[in-house]
Amino acid sequence: MSDAQFETALQGRETPTGLTVDIREMTTRGMIDLRGLADDTAFMAAVKQALNLDLPTAPRTSAAWGEIQALWLSTDQWLILCPRTKTEELLTALRQALAGIHSLAVDVSDMRTIIRLEGDQARSLLLKGSSLDLLSADYEAGTARRLRFAEIAALLHIVSTKPDVIDLYVFRSYADYAWDWLIANGRTVADVRQFGKQAVPAT
Amino acid sequence: MLIVHCHVCGAEGDETDFHYGGQAHIARPATRDPANVSDAEQRDYLFMRHNAKGLHFERWRCDRGCGKWFHAARDTVTMEFKATYGISELPPRALMEAATGEWAVFFKDRLAKGSEA
Repeated sequence: MSDAQFETALQGRETPTGLTVDIREMTTRGMIDLRGLADDTAFMAAVKQALNLDLPTAPRTSAAWGEIQALWLSTDQWLILCPRTKTEELLTALRQALAGIHSLAVDVSDMRTIIRLEGDQARSLLLKGSSLDLLSADYEAGTARRLRFAEIAALLHIVSTKPDVIDLYVFRSYADYAWDWLIANGRTVADVRQFGKQAVPAT
Repeated sequence: MLIVHCHVCGAEGDETDFHYGGQAHIARPATRDPANVSDAEQRDYLFMRHNAKGLHFERWRCDRGCGKWFHAARDTVTMEFKATYGISELPPRALMEAATGEWAVFFKDRLAKGSEA
């Protein structure tokens, strides 16, 4: 008999060097998938009581209170982030508060792998794999949205800006692929500068 | 590449961020009256689709966004999206009136009754 051991998807991968951004795996975060009806006041009140924060109802936004964050995923779905060690406790509190209300709360901490990108080139790197206009004003700090990134499903959370800190959530089975993709496309020599000032061609 | 606008969450994105769900407003005959479904009705339900040149009504899913289904009215010639509307709704009246061919036949009764999809 051996005890189950917690292993992250990217455990053992070396910290890459020579990239335009710093990338690392976030391993200490717990995630709870929360579903319910946003127009159900009893549901919203119960969540507020358990998490101490109002769930964001505007598309692609997030809310935070202390170490707990809520990311908007859909009109009836949120991803709750908390320290991994507190997931169980928070889940119990949520389920107690939501008893009898049409809703769902599940621990999905191991469902997704989180890769954190830090640096001002983070957006131009992500642009290589996505059709979103990440440089537009819509993508301010706190924005969270799902997208098709490098042909796979991903979730983008802009944690802060200047310098950019962006969390990229991919399903665990895609973690290796996403990591390798970021390394391959994030090399300094592969940097894209078409969005910066261009040299004026001689006439 | 089409630029699609999600009716539910307002996200705008490339066609690849969305999923095309085929022709809209297809009712399953067995849902209404399971005991009396003719072979012809079942055949039409399974296989027969409009092949509109011009205004067409179809289903789309915000696949990599909010995950919700919605309806869209699109011109198959110009690829222009005329409107998007909820998954349980009928198109805006002006578009139902503008429909031609099989769609005009389909919307004729609904325009008269003003009923739901």
